[in-house]
Amino acid sequence: MATRKKVLLKVIILGDSGVGKTSLMNQYVNKKFSNQYKATIGADFLTKEVIVDDRIVTLQIWDTAGQERFQSLGVAFYRGADCCVLVFDVTAPNTFKSLDSWRDEFLIQASPREPADFPFVLLGNKVDLEPRAISTKRAQQWCQSKNNIPYFETSAKEALNVEQAFQSIARNALTQQSQSVDLYNEFPDQIKLTNTTNRNSNGDSCAC
Amino acid sequence: MTSGQENDYKAKLIASVKKEVKQVMEESVTKKFVHEESGSVTSLCGAVEACLSQGLRRRALGLFKTSSTTALLHKIAKHSPEAALVSKKVIELENLDPNRRSSSSSDSTTKPTLMKNLSLQNVNLLPKYLWIRLALFEKQLSRIIDYLVTNAGRYYDKDALVADPDYGSILSSLLVGPCALDYSRTKTADHFWTDPPADELLQRHRISSSHSTPPPVRRPIPNFRRSLNTSSDESSNRCQTQHLAKDYVESLHQNSRATLLFGKNNVLVTPPKAGQTEPMPGYLSLHQSANCLTIKWTPNQLMNGFTESDVPDKNIYWDYAIQVRLDEVVYVHCHQDVETGGTVILVGQDGVQRPPIHFPRGGHMLAFLNCLETGLLPRGRLDPPLWSQQSCSARHHKRKRPLPSLVENEDEPKDFVFRIVDSSNHKEILKRHDLMNRNGHVTTKVRAQLGSSSTSSESSTKSFSIEQSCTINDGSNICIQAVCDSMKRQIISRAFYGWLAYCRHLSTVRTHLSGLVHGTIVSGENAKDGLSEAKWAELFVEGVLSDAEEVYKLTYYGGVAHALRKEVWPYLLGHYKFGSSAAQREELSELTKQAYETTMSEWLAVEAIVKQRDKETQANAIAKLSSESTSGEQVPPQIQRDLSNDVFEDISDYEFDSNEDLTDNEDKPKKLKKTKQNTVIYEGSDEEKSKQNETDALPDTLPQQNNCEEETVDLANLRLTNPVLEEASTSTTHTSRIMAEEDEVDLRKFVGNVIVTNPSVDMSNFPPEVQRKCSLGALTEEGGSSLDTLDCIETHGLASPARSACVSPASSNGGVYSTELLETFGLNLHRIEKDVQRCDRNYWYFTCENLDKLRNVMCTYVWEHLDIGYMQGMCDLVAPLLVIFNDESLTYACFCHLMERMVENFPNGNAMDCHFANMRSLIQILDSEMYELMHSHGDYTHFYFCYRWFLLDFKRELVYNDVFSFWEVIWAAQQIASSHFVLFLALALLEIYRDIILSNSMDFTDIIKFFNEMAERHEAQAVLRIARELVLQLQILIENK
Repeated sequence: MATRKKVLLKVIILGDSGVGKTSLMNQYVNKKFSNQYKATIGADFLTKEVIVDDRIVTLQIWDTAGQERFQSLGVAFYRGADCCVLVFDVTAPNTFKSLDSWRDEFLIQASPREPADFPFVLLGNKVDLEPRAISTKRAQQWCQSKNNIPYFETSAKEALNVEQAFQSIARNALTQQSQSVDLYNEFPDQIKLTNTTNRNSNGDSCAC
Repeated sequence: MTSGQENDYKAKLIASVKKEVKQVMEESVTKKFVHEESGSVTSLCGAVEACLSQGLRRRALGLFKTSSTTALLHKIAKHSPEAALVSKKVIELENLDPNRRSSSSSDSTTKPTLMKNLSLQNVNLLPKYLWIRLALFEKQLSRIIDYLVTNAGRYYDKDALVADPDYGSILSSLLVGPCALDYSRTKTADHFWTDPPADELLQRHRISSSHSTPPPVRRPIPNFRRSLNTSSDESSNRCQTQHLAKDYVESLHQNSRATLLFGKNNVLVTPPKAGQTEPMPGYLSLHQSANCLTIKWTPNQLMNGFTESDVPDKNIYWDYAIQVRLDEVVYVHCHQDVETGGTVILVGQDGVQRPPIHFPRGGHMLAFLNCLETGLLPRGRLDPPLWSQQSCSARHHKRKRPLPSLVENEDEPKDFVFRIVDSSNHKEILKRHDLMNRNGHVTTKVRAQLGSSSTSSESSTKSFSIEQSCTINDGSNICIQAVCDSMKRQIISRAFYGWLAYCRHLSTVRTHLSGLVHGTIVSGENAKDGLSEAKWAELFVEGVLSDAEEVYKLTYYGGVAHALRKEVWPYLLGHYKFGSSAAQREELSELTKQAYETTMSEWLAVEAIVKQRDKETQANAIAKLSSESTSGEQVPPQIQRDLSNDVFEDISDYEFDSNEDLTDNEDKPKKLKKTKQNTVIYEGSDEEKSKQNETDALPDTLPQQNNCEEETVDLANLRLTNPVLEEASTSTTHTSRIMAEEDEVDLRKFVGNVIVTNPSVDMSNFPPEVQRKCSLGALTEEGGSSLDTLDCIETHGLASPARSACVSPASSNGGVYSTELLETFGLNLHRIEKDVQRCDRNYWYFTCENLDKLRNVMCTYVWEHLDIGYMQGMCDLVAPLLVIFNDESLTYACFCHLMERMVENFPNGNAMDCHFANMRSLIQILDSEMYELMHSHGDYTHFYFCYRWFLLDFKRELVYNDVFSFWEVIWAAQQIASSHFVLFLALALLEIYRDIILSNSMDFTDIIKFFNEMAERHEAQAVLRIARELVLQLQILIENK
């Protein structure tokens, strides 16, 4: 039977406090921006269904507290993550500098099977604000040095690039998961590659 | 576009429709029905949309909207009744959500990128291709397209696909198939499903529990006896009915425990209890759970809208609902009828017929039987098989055609009887019999698990097998003997385990929980109204409040009147002593205020430096950014280092190393080491550097520096509500506190070396003469130290001619702060800043001015407790206090008292783990059912969902007024009932929603989500009441041990 399991992708958002993790998540899931968010305490998550490569997947996006002292609590949240989103504030150089430690921290805590290949996505948030302190080039250089992780410049406030960024996040997470499923599952879910190619030639007739 | 290309394009469009149609048809075959939101439906609609938009005469028809095909539909509605029907539905749906334009079918050919964006945004709103979708579900799509094709000339260009004689008719005929299908909204197993939001869970709970339990809060407190599996009949019965009702509600939705195999509405059944002969329409569903298949039928009255007027009547419908376990059914009788769709009668093992189920026409009975047969596999099957009834004679027909007689079109109605054969259990029983040394011939008609409940399957199966053996074999005495023995053993072991569990239970209570509550129970008699103003007037005699016990009791049982909180809270928090006179309190307040202001002036001085440093870092970063943008990839290495923010440490390292190499003087390394520890070295601009060089030779005096320092404080103090400048110059205490004394002596010698006031401190804010003084303040005193300075210059000057190092003081009496101190406090300041800005901005109290107060209190606390530092959440703890007191120093003092308990909850304390462990024990004792659930989800036991509750004393879970009530009760409870009252509040929160948690079998993530969504929506007074009851319950339990 052509049954498809429910695909749940766990995504963790990390970054210094105040870079806009909660805002990005809410902008993506609820399509709204509020300047009323409080500092996140503990952890929260939102889910959203998205279509990736003709598959419907459920993204479970975990928002975390930004202060690094709280991260030791995060082990339970990190476990089983399919993608890690690192966020910094393009107007605050310090938030960019801590990216390395966030990444390391995640790899230590989540201890994925293939740390080198684990999908990260970098988001430079608050591009609507001036003045910029971290240039695109610098962020891209950092990404290149980390095994070419995708980089997006976003504005949660203006909903700039948020959709695209999370689409990429979902795709990367799905790749990660399907790889691990292949290893452990006798009956991996099928990804119909043929459909996508046909679709594209059909002049954007498909829904995704 | 040439005509060839165009033909290719049209062929492609048609091919895509063909492919999607095939996909949908396949899905309908493999899954019995197609889900409305299935991806294949969307794809099909998309393909159709593409065909319809191609060559559409937008301009001629005046269709300029993005959703031109929707507009086209509305246009043809005048002429085609099918289109009119769909058009009406589209308008209805869109009107439900007035904010939405009809973006349901966007113009895909002209704006592909836009459409992509839209489609993602619309996922949760109205579905894409709304009208095509609706037309498909209404089975009108092929007819509408037929109409378009026949009237193509009016709406389409000549070379459009729809206008093409071949393609047009192909398109409409392709869609005949999908239009004949049934689409369902019921979510199926292989369709993903999302976790319902908290609102929906509450709603479902309300529906299912309304008939027996009015508000969920009324639920009796869980009884500890439950942990011994001896729950009272009354409560278990109630639970059962409630669960039954809940199951029906749940069955409307796909859930994790049972798979919905089949669902059909308007199936007619005459419920046995209804006492009426007319069959009632209802929803028939077939569920597969791990244990068995279940057929459910629910009257439409329960399914459709629970309107208010129905409520009194609704309860009886729950009795009408039918639930049949398939393993209790032996025969399925099917009666065909040409007039109606067919009837299925289930006959149980006891020979009793279940009420007949009348299917509507349309092959539903066959579909049902089909699902039933699939669902029975692999453990059971239908006999004879549905699909290959005549396979014995004609093997090639096998599994290809259903029973010919079951096809409705047959002229002659026929009846059929299927037997449900359970193959697996059958074998098991045979095995069992073998084990019992029996050689009897067991007939194959045995059906196991007759009436046995799923919980105690083993014992009941055994007892059942006895009956079997009795009926089958005569020489069964031995067997009976054996079985009786085993039953005896079971009974005894059960009793033993029960006793053991009870002992364990009591030991848990004694070891873990006795410390959680106070031994003596303080009765809440006459205290339910709390500390009202009248009570206050009685207790507060001549400015003295002495009856602590009474105040605590009143607060614990009834809270404090809002107007009194400002006066009572300092007592509850331990700031004011009970029995103190008004004058004493006045004096205390004065002292508190003075100390607060002194501390504040200290950190304000440091803040000034930190701000200056920030400015420079920022400037550097921006400078770097601009240089990067102009000079491309070449970035001077020095600047890069500046930006790394580790600049400060780097420099001191350089300094130290280079000096060690340069000098042979034995004193030098030692002195330099001190420098490294105690100085602040700055990145400044090159102008400053040169200025420093110039002023190096100029001698200056400390008083001048002081002077300058005072000015700095003065200016930095602008934000302060009660500026205390006079204190600034006298507060040397802090400096000495921070530094070791010998260091200080050494430092004094070095001061000329290390201290160079950076004139760029808020340059714009400073009057010119201050700037001048500051520049003058930059000085060197000792020859040796000037060498240091030179070294500084060297390290920086060499690599970056544009940058310089400045060393800056900014403390009263020329106090110098260590790099570490500055960095630590600076980091804390930034965090405080960020969190204060975000703290309760939507609450009326927190205007900019009051946020500054909050910030001051927070900074003062952190300055006094730098070892603890600022941690996220502290702001939330200050905020309610500030709202009540509206006084910085009082808030600060009370906050310090509050933090004595709370600080252990933060990451470097260990209270959180204790809380979690205690929660675990408490739940084990007080609600074993919940404990089982949590135990079954490993992660769950970590109790992370309580994290925020305990960290902030529920501050984020409640609205402000409720926070006040919670907090004062927590404080009073420490004296009255339990120092761990928060645990009971947490437990009470769990208990209020326990039915929802249990029935949805929520795991770690579900429950986090649930409570996050429920934040600020709890019924605070109910939670408090239940928490107090729980405390009492535990007290009684321990007392009676």
